Amino acid sequence: MSAITAPAPAGTPRPGEGSERKPGASRGKRVALALGGLWFAGIVFFIGVFGFKAHKAPAVASGVFTPTNEFKLDTWFSVGPVNFNKGVLYVILAAAITLGLMFYVAHRLKERPGRLQAAIEMFYGLTSGMARENLDENLSRKYFPLIATLFVFILVSNLIGYIPLPVDSLDKFTLFGAHLPSFQIYAADTNVAFPLILALMVFVLFSWERLKAHHGPVGFLKSLMPAGITGPIKPLIFVIEVLSYFLRLISLTVRLWANLLAGHMLIAFMGGELGVLVGDPWVQWLLFPFGIAIYLFEAVLIAGLQAFIFSVLTAIYLGDAVTSH
Amino acid sequence: MPATAHLPIASSGSFLITPNVGLMVWVLVIFLICLWVLRRYVFPVIGQTLDRRAQSIAGEIDAAENLRRQADEVLAEYRQRLAEARSQADEIVSRARQAGEAQQKEAIATARAERERLLEQTRRDVEAETRRAIDAIRREVADLTVLATEKVTGKLLTDADQRRLVEEALADLDFSVLTGGGN
Repeated sequence: MSAITAPAPAGTPRPGEGSERKPGASRGKRVALALGGLWFAGIVFFIGVFGFKAHKAPAVASGVFTPTNEFKLDTWFSVGPVNFNKGVLYVILAAAITLGLMFYVAHRLKERPGRLQAAIEMFYGLTSGMARENLDENLSRKYFPLIATLFVFILVSNLIGYIPLPVDSLDKFTLFGAHLPSFQIYAADTNVAFPLILALMVFVLFSWERLKAHHGPVGFLKSLMPAGITGPIKPLIFVIEVLSYFLRLISLTVRLWANLLAGHMLIAFMGGELGVLVGDPWVQWLLFPFGIAIYLFEAVLIAGLQAFIFSVLTAIYLGDAVTSH
Repeated sequence: MPATAHLPIASSGSFLITPNVGLMVWVLVIFLICLWVLRRYVFPVIGQTLDRRAQSIAGEIDAAENLRRQADEVLAEYRQRLAEARSQADEIVSRARQAGEAQQKEAIATARAERERLLEQTRRDVEAETRRAIDAIRREVADLTVLATEKVTGKLLTDADQRRLVEEALADLDFSVLTGGGN
C-alpha cells in the first residue's frame, strides 16, 4: 500500500478541517459567549463562596468609608498660602501634556501630516470654525486662542481623568513596606472649582464685550431685553432675561462638573464600589461589565463632548454679547 | 500583597459642591499660562502651516486647471488635425481611385486599338500570302496541264493552245476555299 496520497484539490476541505466549524459562530461571537459564560460562572461562584447576603466591611458598616471621599482634596503640602493637592497635580499634568503635545506637533509640522498632526490640525480647524461661525473677524482673531485653549485644556484634563494614578492619599496600600496612595481615576474637573473658575473667566469676558458693544451699563441692561417686548410683561421678561444671563455661569460650570463627577462616580460604583457598600462580592462581579462599558462611554464620548460644549458655548456667548437684540 | 487601609475619615460630601479656592487660583494661573504660551508659540505656527498648505493646494488646483485647459486645447487641436488628415486622406484616395480608373480605361482602349491594329495587319498578311499561294498554284496547275497535254498528245503545243488549256483547267478549279470564299 502506498504512503503517497494525492493532494486534495483547492477548495476541498481536508479531513477534520471545516467540518467542525459551526455555521455563523464567528470568532467575536465565540469570545462574547466565553466572556458571558465566565461572567455568569463568576456570579454563581461568588454567591456559592460568600453567600447571597454577605456582611458589610467594618469601615462601611461604621460609616468611615464613603464613596465621595475619593473626590476630597487632601492637602499634600503647602508653600506659604499655596496648597498642593491631587487636584493641583492633575491641573499641572493637564497643562504639561497640553503644552508638550502642542509644542511637539507645532515644531514638527510636515506638509504631509501624520496621525497626530492630523488630529491637532482637526482640532485647530474645529475650534477656528467655532470662532469664525460665532464671532466677527476681529473678535474671532481675538478670541480664537481662548476657545482653542479651553477646548484642548479641558479635553486633556478630562482624558487624564480616566487613567488610574496613585493619587488617593486618603486610602493607602503597602508595597514592600512602603505606604503608597491607592490608584484611582480622578479628574480635576470633578471638583467644582475647575469649571467654575473657567466659567467665571468666560463670563467676565463676554460681559465685558457686551458692555463695550452696548456703550455702558445702561446699554448692557437694555441689550438683555428681547426686541419687540412691550407692556406690563416687560419687567417680568427683564427679570427672567437677567436671571438667564447669570444662569449661563451656573450652567457652564455645572454641565462640565456634574458630567465628570457623575461619570467618575458611576465608574466607581459599577466598577465595584456598590458591591463594597452593600457587602456583596457577587454584586461587584455582576456590575463589573457595566463599569467597563461606562468607562469606555465616558472616555470616548463624554470627555470630548464636554470639552466641545464648553468651548462652543464660550464662542456662542461671546458672539451673542456683541450681536444680541 | 498590597493591603488597603482606609483612613478614618467620614465625609458629609459637602466639599463636593464647595469650590476649593486654592484650586481655582491654580486652574486660573495655569490656564492663563497655557493660553499665553499656545497663543504666542503654537497657534501661529499651526495657522501659518495650514495657510501655507491652503495656498499650496489652491496653487496646485490652479496649476491643474491650467494643465487641463491646455490639455483640452491640445486635444481639440489634435482632433481638428485628425479630422483634416482624414479628409485629406479621403480626398487622396478618391483622387487615386479616379486616376486609376482613368488609367485603366486608357489602357483598355489602347489595348483594344492595338489588338485591332494587329488583327488588321494579320488579316492583310494572310490575304497577301493567300494571293501569293494562289498565284503559285495557278502557275503550277498551268505547267502541269501543259505538260500533261503534251505527253498525252505527243506534240508540242503552241502558245495559243497552252493559254487555252490553262484557262480551261483553271476554270475548273475552285480557289474560293483558300481565299475564305472571297475568290
